[in-house]
Amino acid sequence: MIVLDPNGEKLNLMPLNVGPTHPATHHCIRLLAALDGETIVAGVSEIGYMHRGFEKMVERGTWQQVIPYTDRLNYCSAMMNNIAFCRAVENMFGVEIPERCKVLRVIVNELSRINDHFICVAAAFQDLGGTTPFMYAFNPREEIMCIWEKLTGARLTNSFARIGGLYRDTYDGFEREVLAALDSTEKALKDLHACLDRNRIFLDRTVGIGKISKEHAISHGWTGPCLRACGVASDLRKDEPYYDYETYDWEVVVGTQGDANDRLQVRLAEIEESVKIVRQALKRLTPGPVDIVDPRIRVPAHKLAYQDMEGLIGRFKSVYEGIRVPEGEYYSASECANGELGFTIVSDGSGHPYRIKVRSPSLNHVAAFSEIVEGLTLADSMATLPGLNMIAGELDR
Amino acid sequence: MESVEKTEKIAALLEEKFGAKRDAKARWDVAVVVAAEYLPNAVEFLKNDPDIRMDMLVDIAGIDYLTYPNHEGPRFAVSYAFKSTVNQGCRLRLKVLVGEDCPKVPTLTGFYDSADWLEREVYDQFGIVFTGHPDLRRLLNHVEFVGHPLRKDYPAQKRQWLSTNDFLLPELEKRLEKLGYRIVQRSKEVLPNDDEFLEGSIRE
Repeated sequence: MIVLDPNGEKLNLMPLNVGPTHPATHHCIRLLAALDGETIVAGVSEIGYMHRGFEKMVERGTWQQVIPYTDRLNYCSAMMNNIAFCRAVENMFGVEIPERCKVLRVIVNELSRINDHFICVAAAFQDLGGTTPFMYAFNPREEIMCIWEKLTGARLTNSFARIGGLYRDTYDGFEREVLAALDSTEKALKDLHACLDRNRIFLDRTVGIGKISKEHAISHGWTGPCLRACGVASDLRKDEPYYDYETYDWEVVVGTQGDANDRLQVRLAEIEESVKIVRQALKRLTPGPVDIVDPRIRVPAHKLAYQDMEGLIGRFKSVYEGIRVPEGEYYSASECANGELGFTIVSDGSGHPYRIKVRSPSLNHVAAFSEIVEGLTLADSMATLPGLNMIAGELDR
Repeated sequence: MESVEKTEKIAALLEEKFGAKRDAKARWDVAVVVAAEYLPNAVEFLKNDPDIRMDMLVDIAGIDYLTYPNHEGPRFAVSYAFKSTVNQGCRLRLKVLVGEDCPKVPTLTGFYDSADWLEREVYDQFGIVFTGHPDLRRLLNHVEFVGHPLRKDYPAQKRQWLSTNDFLLPELEKRLEKLGYRIVQRSKEVLPNDDEFLEGSIRE
């Protein structure tokens, strides 16, 4: 198309479809860019290629049946979503989960965050042509995945949290293996920083690229590492603490520039903070129950179902009718790997959720994507996208 | 706890200034119901008041009360979740009730950039029209999709044939014009409902 630019100069722009399945997008997103040579003059994006109707599906099941669906939101850190949802419902019940459950949830949360940040940084490097850091990041990630296998029985979609507790307690040697994974994480961090920090090619590709100002990011509803990279110290674990996050010794990591490099560096630094939190949490891990005892919320153990009439009734009612969440409306937010994962929950007091709206951090990040790549070259736009850590599962729901 | 008191105070201010009412359904957080015509003023107040500074529109959720037991009043509601990055931990929800016959709410795109896609999503899923929105199109569902799937009367099992992609070129041109460019010669104009564009589509 032929256009006159704001200075009145005639340009011949080429509209180019990037995606829906561009190798560097990892998921499906379409960017229609008007190119002047290699530079993106304007862009519009289209999402929804992975829309599965999360919010419609969950209305058909019971409250517990929502949990496996939440796995499929941000599937790089599935258990964080489980925990965020369970926390929201527990708040509606007004119950307090046992101490051991709290600490375990913190450990699982932070290990998931490490996993998620590792995959983001690894993929970002891979997109720019660096395969070595990918492997450095994936070694500790694999160790954590092996812990997930033993802990939950699954690698990717774990469905570990339950409303009022956890699927099960840990196994023998859990603490030892977590400590070993933390050691490899720290080693990998050193290797990654050696690859990243003074790598001329990498810095040229990411420093000052895809910049966004503080005010703009806030107006776009950015949260999590992407917002902190702009220099806003906003972290729900500190601002609205839950699971005693305020009592652990850790810092909120902030960047300065809000560019692609900062977004990756903030993630790496957050891994360090998560390692700190997990080390402290392991010390707090004392034996005790992980589930609350209330058959109206947490289904009674199998053992009870076979021995005891009430246990059998509890299991039967919980599975067939679902637990009855008190009537009302609530918005609950938790700090997940990508930012604020929120659930607007409407309950009519029955065993089925009336309406659950997911507030996914990715949606707000991607909404700004076409704007922040304007003025960049096409290749730079693909250096920007991985830093936003777009996850189609939570973007499209 | 400090933030809770603060939110209570904000809610009281909204009640006083904009005739808002506390939402009895919100039992675990603070929500106020405000009339649609006062929404832009209330939001402007929330955003710009130096003591409140709700600078982030976190989420917009549509709610359809069609099958809600013993529900009285308008069929739809739009729930806006705000938070402040200045007064950390300060949150508030605004709710607007919307009738079925004229589901219209003024847009918030003038206040928050995030309102753009969030409002598009609510429009897509519930058919609630945000008046003044610059580009109110579907967001998650397909361009050819008929109906609004999160309405309670939309059957979950219903299937639709969706074949062509979103053309998107008119939107790109709109974006260029917004950036100060003037289109001299357009690319060949094809509209998503053109016969030529739909060639190969099985849809009638």
